[in-house]
Amino acid sequence: MDPAVVARLHNFYWSLGTVAFIVVGSYLVGRLAQGVAGARGAGVLQRRRVFWGYALVSPWLIGFVIFVVGPALLSLYYSFTDYKLGRSIEWIGLENYKTLLGGLGAQGRRFMQAMYNSFYYALVGVPLQIGTALAMAVMVAQPLRGMPFFRLVFYMPVILAGGPAILLAWRYMLASNGGFINVSLQRFAELIPPFGWLYRSFIFAVESFNAFFIGVTRSDPVGPLMYVLPALLGVLVCAALAFGSAEATRRQVARTVVEVLGAILVVVLGVRAITGGSFVPHVLERLGTFTDLLTQRTSVREAGSLDYLRTGFAEHAASPLWLLGLLVAACALVGYTRLGDGGRKWLFGGVGLLFGLLALGSTVDGVRYFQAFDAASAAAGTANHHFSLFRQVVAQFPDANRVPLWLSSELWSKPSLVLITMWSSGAGMLIFLAALKGVPRSMYEAASVDGATGWQKFFRITLPMISPAMFYNVVIGLIAALQTFESVYIIQNTQTEQSLASAAYFLFVRTFRQLEIGQGAAASWILAVLIVLLTVAQFRYSRWVHYE
Amino acid sequence: MKKKFLMLIALAGLLLGTVNAQRSLEIYITGLTDDTLNWFRGTAFPEFQKTHPDVTLDILTGGWGDFDAAVAGWITTGDGPDIVYLGSEYAATFGSLLADLDPYLADWSELGEFLPAALDVAKFDGHMVGLPLLMSPRPMFFRPDLAADAGAIPPLTFADSVAFVAANSGVENNAMTKMGFMDIGGGLFDAQEFIAYIWSAGGELYNADGSSAFDSAATAEALKFMYDRRRAVLPTELTAGLPPISGYPIASGLVVSGIFPMWNMPPTSDPLWENIVIGPYPAGENGQPLIQVFTDWLSVPAYAKDKELAVDFLKFIGSRDNAIALSNVAGFTPVRTDAWEALRANPVWNSMLDAAVDYGRAFSDIRASAELRPLIVEQVSMYLSDQQSLEDTQNALKEEYDSILEDNGYL
Repeated sequence: MDPAVVARLHNFYWSLGTVAFIVVGSYLVGRLAQGVAGARGAGVLQRRRVFWGYALVSPWLIGFVIFVVGPALLSLYYSFTDYKLGRSIEWIGLENYKTLLGGLGAQGRRFMQAMYNSFYYALVGVPLQIGTALAMAVMVAQPLRGMPFFRLVFYMPVILAGGPAILLAWRYMLASNGGFINVSLQRFAELIPPFGWLYRSFIFAVESFNAFFIGVTRSDPVGPLMYVLPALLGVLVCAALAFGSAEATRRQVARTVVEVLGAILVVVLGVRAITGGSFVPHVLERLGTFTDLLTQRTSVREAGSLDYLRTGFAEHAASPLWLLGLLVAACALVGYTRLGDGGRKWLFGGVGLLFGLLALGSTVDGVRYFQAFDAASAAAGTANHHFSLFRQVVAQFPDANRVPLWLSSELWSKPSLVLITMWSSGAGMLIFLAALKGVPRSMYEAASVDGATGWQKFFRITLPMISPAMFYNVVIGLIAALQTFESVYIIQNTQTEQSLASAAYFLFVRTFRQLEIGQGAAASWILAVLIVLLTVAQFRYSRWVHYE
Repeated sequence: MKKKFLMLIALAGLLLGTVNAQRSLEIYITGLTDDTLNWFRGTAFPEFQKTHPDVTLDILTGGWGDFDAAVAGWITTGDGPDIVYLGSEYAATFGSLLADLDPYLADWSELGEFLPAALDVAKFDGHMVGLPLLMSPRPMFFRPDLAADAGAIPPLTFADSVAFVAANSGVENNAMTKMGFMDIGGGLFDAQEFIAYIWSAGGELYNADGSSAFDSAATAEALKFMYDRRRAVLPTELTAGLPPISGYPIASGLVVSGIFPMWNMPPTSDPLWENIVIGPYPAGENGQPLIQVFTDWLSVPAYAKDKELAVDFLKFIGSRDNAIALSNVAGFTPVRTDAWEALRANPVWNSMLDAAVDYGRAFSDIRASAELRPLIVEQVSMYLSDQQSLEDTQNALKEEYDSILEDNGYL
């Protein structure tokens, strides 16, 4: 028989079978629902309605169960197994989660790097994307001639972005040597000397930040610098609690800190317990004592020993989690008890001062620690590869002929991806534009009568009124950033693959290239749970959103 | 009504019976051009059906990107194409899941016409598990007309190669103006090339016990060569590369030597070939220069129901006439030496074949290749960009590859 006829018959049988399956399935679901309704005492008419209601909604329900719920549950099961395609499935419990969350082995290390990269896209990319979208929306909302054209132009990247042709165009535009963007920037820098200085400062800042970020993601030891961020957070929170004027706001800030930091502490300690075996001894060992924290930060001991600098310091130093714990305890005092004004100011002024001293001391010690690495390496006659890219970058302020290496260097690969994402901010712009159109004119008119400036109107009227749109864009933007995949897949090359790899890219490679279904499934569940937690947290702390 | 219904069922059964009486072959092919696929459908299949009139043939196509998952899916479910197109390094990955073709090919006299290095690619555990289809030698290409005087071309040792690249690279205003060497990815590092240098330094990827040999002196020599060559082209990691090149890199006037597949080289009729020299990869102190030869081959999965028919098709497509025809349409080199006569009339292909015969080494027996590549890219990139010492790089490669080999049942 003609192969074409065979193929058509094959399709015909399958179509027939599918339709029959849906019809029979829908009938059975309807009957089941009808039976349940009958058992609950529903009347004949009600049972008939239930039958038809469920029977008619069943095609979608059956599809949802077969194509969404089923695979999701199966992937949850696989995440607890050692399953490589082509081999038998072996139940291994939490091993995949231990490997990934504990950063154990090569795959754990790559997963953690990928998670860092995803957070980079979320924390750096989303604010820039939202800022761009808002700026574009404010511009095209102006009642000027030709604005519909600009709306179209700004929205077009949403349709085009991610396409191979567009990303290829970006490759040409972002070429470090001779690309349109670099050539333009260099020409501006030559023509306008202050711009040139700014341009070189921009290169220096971006490269320094990214080089340090790369060092951190590769687990280069940061030494006493690990205390700086929590200490600075402590300073800020204590200052707000000590000198904040409104009681209700203070209590709200304190409770938020307790809830958020408390949750982070619980999660971090929980993960450590999972990845480290026994819970309590392991956690206590990692925490050390608070006295250790206060005394160890004051100096870098054994500065001449490379082994100490590489691993010894981190092994013996107290965990910075102590600082977060202290902050949570202090905030609980304000959030859940009543303190007198005087006592509060003295208490939080003092704790804030302590955090400040810790931040300052840790910074100084951190610099000493980095210098000690150089000295110890030189003394040992070996090359110093600790934060090597960072050292190369900060060794010299960029010359006039330096250019961003965009897609060809790991120092610039993530900023390039963020730039491309910003370019396609049209969807966010559209949401902001709709919200801007909904702000009543009368509010601006009343503000004008009161003598408000343009900026005052923007910050006091526009921003609060469009906060629901802002909230929507933040939630959607964060989820999209954590799921970044296509752009990474297309723009990466040998040089930048690791520095661009997102969590979604990791699970793609692990699942579809290396066929490690079990570990890929575990990675996808970790990502899914993280996204859910962050989304829930955003809704929980969305009081800044103003609904009319 | 009941009668009509029964008649309908009988008719459907009859049709199904007719369908099942037909023999069929489904062939999975990836990475070949539309012209090549059309040649299969329009020329090869009708020709095969002359001797097998009861057989229907169909092609299933896909990309290399989803190749692993697709093949593993078929093998896992035991339901998929009867013949699967595989790349050079896949015998180690899928070999145990493919049919042993020795019983079918043992008496086939034409097997002796195949290049032995190509046949090695399709062997697993000493048995033939497929038949080579096309091959692609991947030599180095040089432009002597652009080169400064820096010794003989091609340079045959690591030291000479670094000197050549240094003499022919240029940087102005912190940006490259001329590249003494460009690798296949357009940068300065490629994982397959790294493996080639380990071989040309006299090393191997595996020790006798099957463990990784990344801690060998040959690996160290290969790494140092790649680092020195990188620094000869790129003084620092903050130097900008060449401007974007449209067209063939070797024809740009900016690239003096490089490794490119033939589809990224000018047509052999281009007069530029008068200024292009074909050469092998340089060698280390204890090794020999070589050229990597990539061979694509057709395999028969163990689940295939009609293996005899599948092998019949392999023999048919592997015949001399088909090898020549396929080579012409696909742009690759035939794997049969008796099909090279026509190619040898072309001076470019003649040089290429001579080089392949003299220096060719099959890119094969790469175990757990899907996991090895990212490991090499990660670790070697860090070494080449001054982020990791040679010792740490070798240790990480050795330790992690051993772990991969163990996980995948090779150790």
